[in-house]
Amino acid sequence: MPTTEFGSIQFAEVDWNDAVCLITYGPLPDKLFLSIKAVGLLQIPLLQRKENGLLRIICGSRRLAVCRELGLQPLLCQILPDSLPLHTCLRMAIYDNLAHRRLNPVEKSLALTKMADHMDKSEVIEEFMSPLDLEPSVVLLERYEKLAQLEPFVLDALASGRLNERVAFALTPLEQTDRLALFQLFEELPFSVSVEEELVEMVVEIGRRQGIGPAEVINLREIRKVRAADTKPARQRAQDIRRHLQALRSPRLTARKERFAKEVRDLKLPAGVRLVPPPHFEGPRWNLECTFESGDELAARLRHLTKLADRRKFQRIMKSLC
Amino acid sequence: MNYRPERLLIEKPVAENRLVQRILAALQDVPVDWVDRLKDDPTSRNGKVLEIVKFQGRFIKPCPGTRFYTCCGYQILNLGVQCFLGCTYCILQAYFPNPNLRLFGNLEDMWQQLEEHLQSSPRRVHRIGTGEFTDSLLLDPLTRMTEDLVPFFAAQPNAVLELKTKTTQVDLLESLDHRGHTIVAWSLNPSSLIASEEAATATLEERLEAARRCQEWGYRLAFHFDPLLVYPDWQNGYSEVVDQLSSAVDPGDIAWISLGTLRFMPSLKPIIRQNHPRSTILEEEFIPGLDGKMRYFRDLRVEMYGYLSRMLRNWHKDLCIYLCMESNDIWRESLGFDPAECGGLSDILDGQALP
Ligand code: SF4
Repeated sequence: MPTTEFGSIQFAEVDWNDAVCLITYGPLPDKLFLSIKAVGLLQIPLLQRKENGLLRIICGSRRLAVCRELGLQPLLCQILPDSLPLHTCLRMAIYDNLAHRRLNPVEKSLALTKMADHMDKSEVIEEFMSPLDLEPSVVLLERYEKLAQLEPFVLDALASGRLNERVAFALTPLEQTDRLALFQLFEELPFSVSVEEELVEMVVEIGRRQGIGPAEVINLREIRKVRAADTKPARQRAQDIRRHLQALRSPRLTARKERFAKEVRDLKLPAGVRLVPPPHFEGPRWNLECTFESGDELAARLRHLTKLADRRKFQRIMKSLC
Repeated sequence: MNYRPERLLIEKPVAENRLVQRILAALQDVPVDWVDRLKDDPTSRNGKVLEIVKFQGRFIKPCPGTRFYTCCGYQILNLGVQCFLGCTYCILQAYFPNPNLRLFGNLEDMWQQLEEHLQSSPRRVHRIGTGEFTDSLLLDPLTRMTEDLVPFFAAQPNAVLELKTKTTQVDLLESLDHRGHTIVAWSLNPSSLIASEEAATATLEERLEAARRCQEWGYRLAFHFDPLLVYPDWQNGYSEVVDQLSSAVDPGDIAWISLGTLRFMPSLKPIIRQNHPRSTILEEEFIPGLDGKMRYFRDLRVEMYGYLSRMLRNWHKDLCIYLCMESNDIWRESLGFDPAECGGLSDILDGQALP
């Protein structure tokens, strides 16, 4: 531990704009207010005296902010000398945070990005990725580095857990308008993380196919209509949008499914019987599902089904595949 | 296509091998690093180094078909890996993160394994290709491997060698005594696709001219419409290819023509996006096939196969056309028969293989 001194500081001495060693991201927790108000500051913040005499925050930015709001000054702090290299201070900030809590994705991104300014990528990977609960890999490091460049409200969503980092990774390569269009959709309707990832990919690919941007895809009339149908539950609208985008991405498969559904309706299968084509109509394996509640019911259904294979309409369905 | 590596990286155990000596003689001013054993560290590789190593695995293997789709019974002779022709869809991008070309220097092991393999099943017809993990003729001007391979196969009563390429590097073949046991094959695509998706390969005209020359030297030919790619004007594009093909070569000397639409492992998709951001091949409609690879939706595959095979048959009705890795229902729907009805695909191709 480098030599530090203890001293009482005034808030005017702190350079509140100096964020070079800050990796904390997110709103001030209410409980921190409550705690400091009730019992005072239990853990002393760490700052560094800069050449210009101002103080750079190293550890305890939130505690300092709360104390400032509560007007608790002068405040006892630990002060590092200005001779201490920045990367040493940054490392102290990261390890101090790691010791107390799990960092959110934005904080992980800040920690990795800022350390990468002082060390080789391979060293950052080796020293920091596992302690940050990340799989050590250059690909993942680069993804986290890009997160730090996202818009503040996307970062807020990421830090608060409203947006998953996997989805943020998928959004980072997009143009800002496209990213925001998708982000707003995800803020508005409830999709699972994997569906959000799928939607980003689908929307980009539909855009490429149609020669339009992802934002324009989201803004297509049919999509807007589904989004605006607020008499329907949000979950239902989310499903409708996904279905709609799937149909745009895979028009042939969708047309085939619709045709199949119509052909099966025309077959007039008995209740409790379902004809299931191979997944994506690929391969020869069909399924016929039959549910029943009694032996008589089963017998009746089987009698009906024995004739099924000879029916023209059924043969046509099968023939259209092979 | 004058290939000149910046550096040679050679494992000492293959130093005395004939292939290594040949390459050293041809690239006298290229610096050489000698190592005991090459480490597999893809991050330090830049694609400009030619590696020659001692291959520890099996040189000859069956083509990795799957039980879900009809396999043709092909065998692969593995002489090296990687390719610098940069086709956007190339599976090698996923198989081998190391971009350096790598040759296997212990060819004495290769010859021994090949001979044992052929002798172990003398009644079987062996169709053997070298173009699975690289282009068959990519480095031939440097390695001169065809000078050894072609005469070797010429002496095998039960085997043919298929050299699959997208290059025009056939010069060495001219003087070789092949006795009909080497088939030279090109993969074909419309010129616009070659320009956009196979940018560093020979043009269609150049490929067909090279094929014509090989035919003149008595070689039989094969063509692979693989991968067939969908794009807005694909029907006209492929019609033109068939037209050009029909004016370039005599169909009587074509051993087989394969058709196979684009398919790829899902893990290749992000690699294609990263390496070839302008490629449009991923924009079509894909479904996961029974083998887990992404494929065009079946109706589209049937349409493409039907279209191509009709055009090819219009040119010459006796062409041996087969589908690569497709199921029987697709065969029936697009070609009108299922290979099992004719003894199986392997037998059909075996019947075509020997001169
Ligand atoms: S020529 Fe073949 S091996 Fe080479 S990049 Fe193209 S597909 Fe891959």
